[in-house]
Amino acid sequence: MTETTQDEYARALGKEVAIGSVDKELRQLWEEDKASTNASLVNLAVYSEAEGAILRNSEIVQAITREHACRAILIGIDRDAPEASIRAWITAHCHLSQQGSKSVCCEQLAFQLTGKATGRLRNTVFAHLNSDLPLVFWWQGELSPIFSERLYSLIDRFVFDSSEWSQPLESFQKINQVMEESDELYPLDLEWTRSYPMRLALAGLFDDPLAAQALEHFNQIRIVVHPDHAMAGLQILAWLVDSTGWQRSQELGLCGETSPESSQGYCFHFETNEGSNVTATVECDASSAQIGLVELSGADCTVRVLRNAGSSYQHQQLEAGDHQIDQLMPAASTDACELVADQLSRGGKNTLYRTMMPLFLDLLACQGG
Amino acid sequence: MKNPFRKDLVSRSRPEACTVVIFGATGDLTHRKLVPALYNLQVEGALPAGVKIIGFARRDKSDEEFRSGLEELNKKVSRSGHDDKVWADFEQNIHYHQSEFQDQEGYDRLAERLDEIDRERGGKGNRLFYIASAPSFFDDVLEHLKKAGLSESEDSCWSRVIVEKPFGTDLPTAQHLNQVVNRTFNEKDTYRIDHYLGKETAQNIMVLRFANAIFEPLWNNNYIDHVQITCAENLGMEGGRGGYYDKAGALRDMVQNHLLQLLSLVAMEPPTDLSADGVRDEKVKVLRSMRQWDTPELVAENVVRGQYIAGHVDGEKVVGYREEDRVDPESMTESYVALKIMIDTWRWSEVPFYVRMGKQLPKKATEISIHFKEPPTVLFNALAGGVPGGNVLVIRIQPDEGISLRMVSKIPGANLRLEPVKMDFHYATSFGKGSPEAYERLLLDSMAGDATLFARRDEVEEAWKFIDHIENAWHESKNPPEMAEFVAGSWGPKEADELLAKSGHKWRRL
Repeated sequence: MTETTQDEYARALGKEVAIGSVDKELRQLWEEDKASTNASLVNLAVYSEAEGAILRNSEIVQAITREHACRAILIGIDRDAPEASIRAWITAHCHLSQQGSKSVCCEQLAFQLTGKATGRLRNTVFAHLNSDLPLVFWWQGELSPIFSERLYSLIDRFVFDSSEWSQPLESFQKINQVMEESDELYPLDLEWTRSYPMRLALAGLFDDPLAAQALEHFNQIRIVVHPDHAMAGLQILAWLVDSTGWQRSQELGLCGETSPESSQGYCFHFETNEGSNVTATVECDASSAQIGLVELSGADCTVRVLRNAGSSYQHQQLEAGDHQIDQLMPAASTDACELVADQLSRGGKNTLYRTMMPLFLDLLACQGG
Repeated sequence: MKNPFRKDLVSRSRPEACTVVIFGATGDLTHRKLVPALYNLQVEGALPAGVKIIGFARRDKSDEEFRSGLEELNKKVSRSGHDDKVWADFEQNIHYHQSEFQDQEGYDRLAERLDEIDRERGGKGNRLFYIASAPSFFDDVLEHLKKAGLSESEDSCWSRVIVEKPFGTDLPTAQHLNQVVNRTFNEKDTYRIDHYLGKETAQNIMVLRFANAIFEPLWNNNYIDHVQITCAENLGMEGGRGGYYDKAGALRDMVQNHLLQLLSLVAMEPPTDLSADGVRDEKVKVLRSMRQWDTPELVAENVVRGQYIAGHVDGEKVVGYREEDRVDPESMTESYVALKIMIDTWRWSEVPFYVRMGKQLPKKATEISIHFKEPPTVLFNALAGGVPGGNVLVIRIQPDEGISLRMVSKIPGANLRLEPVKMDFHYATSFGKGSPEAYERLLLDSMAGDATLFARRDEVEEAWKFIDHIENAWHESKNPPEMAEFVAGSWGPKEADELLAKSGHKWRRL
């Protein structure tokens, strides 16, 4: 580590402390500042194996703690480094409370590890969790061998972003296996969170009786996503089909051909509960917003939610003969920090994610993972 | 038809597309609360697509004038901020309907307009009528809605009415209003709103009690000594509210509805389920079990009424109640009331519930405090200073929503000395995000057909029955209890302190 980097670490991460005295130093930190309130609802661990990520994550955590009181634990690991080492820093992120009357602070502990680290991560880093509060573990980047039973058995909520994965099928199979083994761990995929406003807007349109009546008569589903967010496209499709109870087409088979609409898209076939065929395409378009379009059509009715690239709004549209709805609503931010904050504020058991997972895995496998 | 995409997407009841008609659309409530609440719901994607809003009022206005007035205020008060583009889209669904409240023709025109909207929407005629007009028009609005055929709905659709407070001014007027409402709407379609019940902390009372095994076993007369419910306001009769207030008074304005609702949540038995009637059945049992102070003597013994005289609040000199704008200089209306309420059930036998409400008190605060019995002091009774007061669980409703628990602890050092310490939980610092406005939750619930947080007919009438005895003793008996005075900016009259002192209690210092 260069001298400049040392300074950067100190600026971003606060006071460097000996591993054995983290608790003592934290106590001193609070004793020195009588004007602040220490608040915490969860332990939020942020894990990355990317170089320098720990510094960026400190900024992200600072933003998250504006709305979510937590004990933040940043973990940076360089697993390829030959020597095993561990360093620790402590600081606090403080914000004025809503009333502006006092400063509310959240502690941040940062650990930088090198070398083989699984045991030290579990035994040393997790020794500094705030007791009795759940552990939300945000894993950044590809899943590595460190994600093992001995690690995830300690975690309550596992946050990850599947759009970051280069081998999604393999990683999702691992996640699925974990979900099957344990009801205790709730996976929170940021790619799934990203599609939430789209799903909510679409569900809102089906409160309309004409859309609801048309549901069994749709024959086309079209989903357009940015190529970096193909996972979101498949997840939305799996959710749509799973929610309706439609089946994979016996005649045509689930796996179809490359979408005629886009050389980067894929086509799937389903049957409605009344036996009609539904063709579903998931298209990847570089000019699209992350999730640009979800559209169901057929039988004189089109239900659509769309967002243009760069726009901070999404449209809810319904066309059924003379009856038309076109409503604008703010599209949620897709910034990782806000997505995590959104996950933290939602709570619950993420049951929909578990429900759509089997079909999603099949779609992913069809598409070639 | 069920919407499969709502399943598990949000954990709350599913609202349906509908038309919301607001009577009294030019009023403050519509501008400050109702429309901003609907706008926030739209921003959060919680409002079903295709919701239309029709403002019904007497003044002559165009749609554009109405919308622009709403927009102006939404910019100031919206919790989620004001987005011009979203508003521009949202306001397309807002329309104005001019009519006198007594003019049947105006309601007939409204019916035609609603039919037109329903046809556009594909025949689904869900309607939510929100009566936010002055109470004197409640009867008119309800009767004319019925005559226009608007209170009935076809199969698979619904027609609901939300009635704002005050729901009557005494038992006979409430009963009359209930009769009118029930002549026009089914009880299941009637939503008597009490916005206190939409507040997060009020909703949290049931969670606190029934989801925490450490509290429920202690929630009875074996362990609880008494309960205090305080609603303190540091305002007087500003903004011309003296005219209304001098006719109502603290007891009818706040205690009959908000505070008795809170009391019933604290005192109710666990409901068999969380359905609207499951919860309301238990709340009404509490109201029925309140011992009636039905003679002037009992009222004098258990209720204190007061008025403030000139004093200082927040460092500002303020006038006395009788000197306030639009208040009768010889007014016998209470701006402060303190009551001792006894609930004659197995659980609460001999546990007093003290309720107080006052204007021009030192600060604004609404809270419920549960005072636990003190443990036998055998071990510590020889200590210098003795044992400080026992455990107190405080549920703060506003403005600083949260919960705190006071317990006794040893002061560090060689000597054994005991002092109270407090564990504190603040919604604002723990959850960060501001809580949704109560009206957001309540509007969405009424669209979704969930009446849990709305008062039922029997609840309202039971509460009035209790209140009427006190009002009668004050205003109709030959020997009315005294009107106590207190200096504005203090915590109320000494008589209120004496009310508690008779049972060895004292008001919690806020």
